[in-house]
Amino acid sequence: MNWRNETVFVTGATGFIGGRVCERMMQAGAPQIKVRALVHGMHRAPRIARMPVELCPGDLLERGSLRQALGEAKVVIHCGLGPASSIVQGTENMLAVAHEAGVKRFIHVSTAAIYGITPPPGSESEDAPLRRTGDAYCDNKAAAERVVLDYGKRGLPVVILRPSIVWGPYSTWSTRLMDDLRAGRVAFIEGGRGACNTTYVDNLIDAMILGLENDRALNQAFFITDGERVSWGDFIRAHMALLEPPPEVREISQAEIEASRGRSSGLLLGSMKAAGRVARSKEFRQMLMQIPLTEAAMKKAWNWITSLPPEKRERLRARFGVRRAAPKSANAKFIPDEVTEATQSTTVFFSIEKARKMLGYEPRVRFTDGMRLVEQWLRYAAYL
Amino acid sequence: MTESIRLAILGCGAITRSEHIPAVSAHPGVHLVALVDTDLARANALIQNRGLSCKAVADYREVLGQVDAVINALPNHLHVSSNTDCLRAGVHVLCEKPLAITAAEARSCTEFADEKKLVLAVGMNRRFAASHPLLKLVIEEGLLGSIQDYDFQYGGAFDWRSASGFYFDRAKAGGGALVDFGVHMLDSVIDWFGPVSAFDYQDDDWGSGIEANLFLDVKHAGRFGDDAAISTQPSALTKGIPGHLRISRTFTLKNRILVRGSAASAEISVQDPEVVVIHRVLGGALVSETLRLENFPGGSSYWRQLDNFVQSIANRSKPEVDGWQAVRVLELIENCYAHKQRIAEPWAEVGAESGADSGTKSGRKSGTTTGTASGTATVTAAVTTNGGART
Repeated sequence: MNWRNETVFVTGATGFIGGRVCERMMQAGAPQIKVRALVHGMHRAPRIARMPVELCPGDLLERGSLRQALGEAKVVIHCGLGPASSIVQGTENMLAVAHEAGVKRFIHVSTAAIYGITPPPGSESEDAPLRRTGDAYCDNKAAAERVVLDYGKRGLPVVILRPSIVWGPYSTWSTRLMDDLRAGRVAFIEGGRGACNTTYVDNLIDAMILGLENDRALNQAFFITDGERVSWGDFIRAHMALLEPPPEVREISQAEIEASRGRSSGLLLGSMKAAGRVARSKEFRQMLMQIPLTEAAMKKAWNWITSLPPEKRERLRARFGVRRAAPKSANAKFIPDEVTEATQSTTVFFSIEKARKMLGYEPRVRFTDGMRLVEQWLRYAAYL
Repeated sequence: MTESIRLAILGCGAITRSEHIPAVSAHPGVHLVALVDTDLARANALIQNRGLSCKAVADYREVLGQVDAVINALPNHLHVSSNTDCLRAGVHVLCEKPLAITAAEARSCTEFADEKKLVLAVGMNRRFAASHPLLKLVIEEGLLGSIQDYDFQYGGAFDWRSASGFYFDRAKAGGGALVDFGVHMLDSVIDWFGPVSAFDYQDDDWGSGIEANLFLDVKHAGRFGDDAAISTQPSALTKGIPGHLRISRTFTLKNRILVRGSAASAEISVQDPEVVVIHRVLGGALVSETLRLENFPGGSSYWRQLDNFVQSIANRSKPEVDGWQAVRVLELIENCYAHKQRIAEPWAEVGAESGADSGTKSGRKSGTTTGTASGTATVTAAVTTNGGART
């Protein structure tokens, strides 16, 4: 379809991916293109407020607000997650509102993590069967895909994209890694062999645009990565090279990690106590919209935390100081936490052959080029 | 003080809740008569919540016969009309910054206050932090030697929970980070170093939006620089004390001013705006000392600002920050916007599909503009770069 004369509605527009989508839409379609951005917290909008983007207040959990925010838009790019425990509900609301408004294309940003934080061997291609992973974020994102396909069957033209480690300017993968490298909180797990499956944000947006233009993409799901076999070691080393003097990063085996954890492992925040600290904080309550502080709330907080994407969990941990600290003595090794270990332990490189064949997708930004842009941005963003 | 001043607060948004009400409640010289907000429920909730004994009013014009003064904390675009109404009714005004959206409006408002012989004070609370007069003393008493330059950075993730959300509407806010934070910073540096004679301004507005990031280089030609006439044009930055300002609503910056002199440097950090830290080299070692003003009044900077307003009314004296000082800052901001350049964002050029060549250096562009700089700010269409390997 020709989407360049359409109004494009972007959810998650104040986030890293959605923010870049707004920028790319402006670049691709200005001046005739109109972009409407769903904004849940107005204070998070400075990046997109720089452009002639319509800031539309609304909440993925309130259909009425979505109807109003969608306005005349006939193209939806759904990057939003909504409150994390409600990924499915938020997506269903957006689908329902788009369907009744006669939306002509709905791009759903899913994730390769529907196969788990550590996707098992065999999940390289899109036809690999899905199974419950036990991780709320992964399972909810998988369930959301099923709802998207349901709406596809009912006539809403949907396309599903499954990016993996989406990186680039404004991504916390890079900013957090820089902080961690400076603080001595990084290790090469099993030599850094794990598959990183980098997905440069502009490559992902290229795929979104192809999804808008290509009718063969309808009702299909596509893995989207940079198509390069970048390991976590490569990713970490590329960031290390930006620091002067280069930080020391040591190798650690999974056996060593296991041994260091002992019996208290398994809980993603380290302990329920830490979850309680998070739950009691003002910031968290604002995020969760004022839940009362009872045992039930603690449980709710716990469910909420474990339903977040790994990246967000990490950010939360960093913010509330419940992340693993750097080792005190020079000889002690830094032990990565559970989410980091799980994220960096997969051996699966997702195949982008289906996207190549059906979408005509070809990643334009190579890893080294992307890294150069990230470096420039990190300097600008005062991280270097 | 003989009798207390009857006061109303216009606007029950974030700043009224967090600063003005605590300041007013703690000041013995003022009597709060009314909270005004078009959203009466909001005003009433605030009265209940804080246990205030004043009334809630939807339209400020209803209270004009009943008060001596107002604190005007309405959204920016409403400042001028409401200030004028108040002044016309003989009411003194402490107006939140910015005094107006345009310098011309600020000027006419200030002239009107002069004509009516009423106090028009502008909310520049940072002037009332102890570090402000302290740095002035440090500079004037020559503690730093001759002033070489300064670096002033302020930035962090924007987190102002505005009740009305007017911040991202240029018509209502007047601009972005430059208007919001920049008015404070420019007001301070002009008070310290004198009028700005030249500037070079870049921001990241893509066109029809509002900036989240900006770089502003200035030269001060005041008491400590050349006596050049105040320029309203960007010009080659050759004379006066150079200053480098950077403001961000998206990135965490150093959040301090560092003034470098031939003998020592002085630093004010947002973490402790009550002190000035002096850095110098002593026998080859880097040392620092913290200066503090003795006998400086307690309370928040907003309380001191209110107190200054009250004293000005009682003594018929000029407030610390009057309308004319706001006018000169707004004139500079207007000139910045009129002659802005776009910050280069090479990472944003990836994926753009057509257009003319744009800047190739990331962040601020190097070099300075001259007096012939084009005043238009067009959105530079980005270039196709495969991977953006351009440095």
